[in-house]
Amino acid sequence: MRARITRNNSNDQIIFIISRIEDLIYNVTFDMSTGSGNIITNISIIKSEQIDDILHIFRDVMLSGLALSTFVKILSPGESVGSLTIPEGKHGIATVCSITVDGVLLKKGIPVKPKFGGLVEIKKGMPVRFTDLIRYDSTTIDPLEILMSHSLTSVSDMLTSGSGKILVNLREITMNARNKVEEILDDMASAGLGGILEVGELNTDILGMTVERDHFGVAVIGGNNMMAVAQEQGFDIDTHAMSSIMNVRDMVPIDQVI
Amino acid sequence: MISSNTDPLVLRKLMEIMKIITESDGAVGARIIADRMKERGYQIGERGVRYHLRILDERGLTVREGYSGRTITKKGLQELEDGLIGYRVGFIITTIDELIYNTNLDVDTGTGNVIVNTAIIDKNDFDEVMEIISAMSSKPYSMSPYIRIMEENDPEFKVPEGKVGIATVCSITIDSILVRNGIPVSPRYGGLIKMVRGEPAEFWDLVLYSGTTIDPMRIFIDRKMTSIFDTYETGNGKLLASMREIPVSAYEHAVEVLNKAQEIDIDCLIRMSEPGTPVLKAPITPGKIGLPVYAGINSMAAVKESGIDITIQPISTITDYKKMTRL
Repeated sequence: MRARITRNNSNDQIIFIISRIEDLIYNVTFDMSTGSGNIITNISIIKSEQIDDILHIFRDVMLSGLALSTFVKILSPGESVGSLTIPEGKHGIATVCSITVDGVLLKKGIPVKPKFGGLVEIKKGMPVRFTDLIRYDSTTIDPLEILMSHSLTSVSDMLTSGSGKILVNLREITMNARNKVEEILDDMASAGLGGILEVGELNTDILGMTVERDHFGVAVIGGNNMMAVAQEQGFDIDTHAMSSIMNVRDMVPIDQVI
Repeated sequence: MISSNTDPLVLRKLMEIMKIITESDGAVGARIIADRMKERGYQIGERGVRYHLRILDERGLTVREGYSGRTITKKGLQELEDGLIGYRVGFIITTIDELIYNTNLDVDTGTGNVIVNTAIIDKNDFDEVMEIISAMSSKPYSMSPYIRIMEENDPEFKVPEGKVGIATVCSITIDSILVRNGIPVSPRYGGLIKMVRGEPAEFWDLVLYSGTTIDPMRIFIDRKMTSIFDTYETGNGKLLASMREIPVSAYEHAVEVLNKAQEIDIDCLIRMSEPGTPVLKAPITPGKIGLPVYAGINSMAAVKESGIDITIQPISTITDYKKMTRL
């Protein structure tokens, strides 16, 4: 299934990324009890001959906990997903996008407001603070893709030394939903969807950033940290974040494709 | 690093003190810092400053030099870049406002100063760079054919050894001209504009100044999203542009002022929007008129596209317009 909002059918005004996110999360149907349904994916297009190296990097990142899930889908040359077609000589790897979390929360009746994508500084394994961010209502390009291309990340350092800057996004939720959100996030983790970096306190800054009155923040690890690692190690990788909706049943744990 | 659980007010003072030290030439003492802090609205005495300096020293962000002066460390500079995220969102507008206030170009006489973008290149690349910048010396690639070359010993700009600095007029100069003439102007966003057969077709991507800690122009340049050479050669491609808004009632006055600016070789307006109506698919606030302009930095971004090593600093500083030379 493809995301319905694209540039082509928006005749009068440019679309900010927040509208695309809301359109995508509305289409999430992932059911934690059955482990099936639609989730949102990022697609990385890579050179076919580098697929083994890159899959190994992805696996390392996934196992270290810097990803939402270990599920992947390999796309062969010529295969299409939504409006994206994998060119000759290239392969695609679909992985779980972090805004899937917003979709699952939404479908459980939680009013969730995706706010921004940013960089979080990690010191000795502990998240310290956001050092850069771009709000979803202020940009037409995915903030995490911007930050990734800006050579500001140091996810590889984070993996080897425990300190570095990783990609994280933040959403705000009304304070009375706090207990229910924790329950849902636990259930998600049991169903193989993790990646929660921090759940903030009510009316309290989260990682140095203020939240709206009577809200709390939830920081989720960006789905593209593994792409950032591959890029930091010199691999050519063309990322399409928040690119499509996919049934999780069509995906497999990464160990099955290595 | 200053931990994020430090009291926010203390944190703000620590950051402001580091900023003051960075902005001064050489080491600076507690008394001067206390004076500057008062100018900026922080009620803090010399003793208070000393207390904060001790915290900064302990954390390796500042270092004692000579009797009582302090200088910033490399770690301190990094901290200024990374710390206090909440205050840095939309900070680009604060920087723009400061520069606008310090600019005084008179459109009737062409005297006064303008806001410039600066770039640092290798001396060996100079001829090649000048060829590109000269070819792209007018709209839509440059704001003005006037540029300034800075050598190693330039009194105003720090140019590293073996390098040359170049300054071109920045499109924010348009905002300062409007403000100088009493027209309130709000810079809204930076963007990429798609050109078809040499004409602007539509905005392709936008980043609002109010929602980012990274300069939008840097985002588009670093992501290699521009195609300035293609536009120059075929008329089709994507150029850097930006948008500001003015009140509807100022329309005629703005036209008059911008016409005068054109006579002193400052020109980059794409068109004026209808009140509250999207222009080139980009949104405009109700009650406002949008002024999309081509960025003055396009010619420098073209140099980068060509593969030459160039460090570009958008919206960099101000310089005397009369001291610039016409290409």
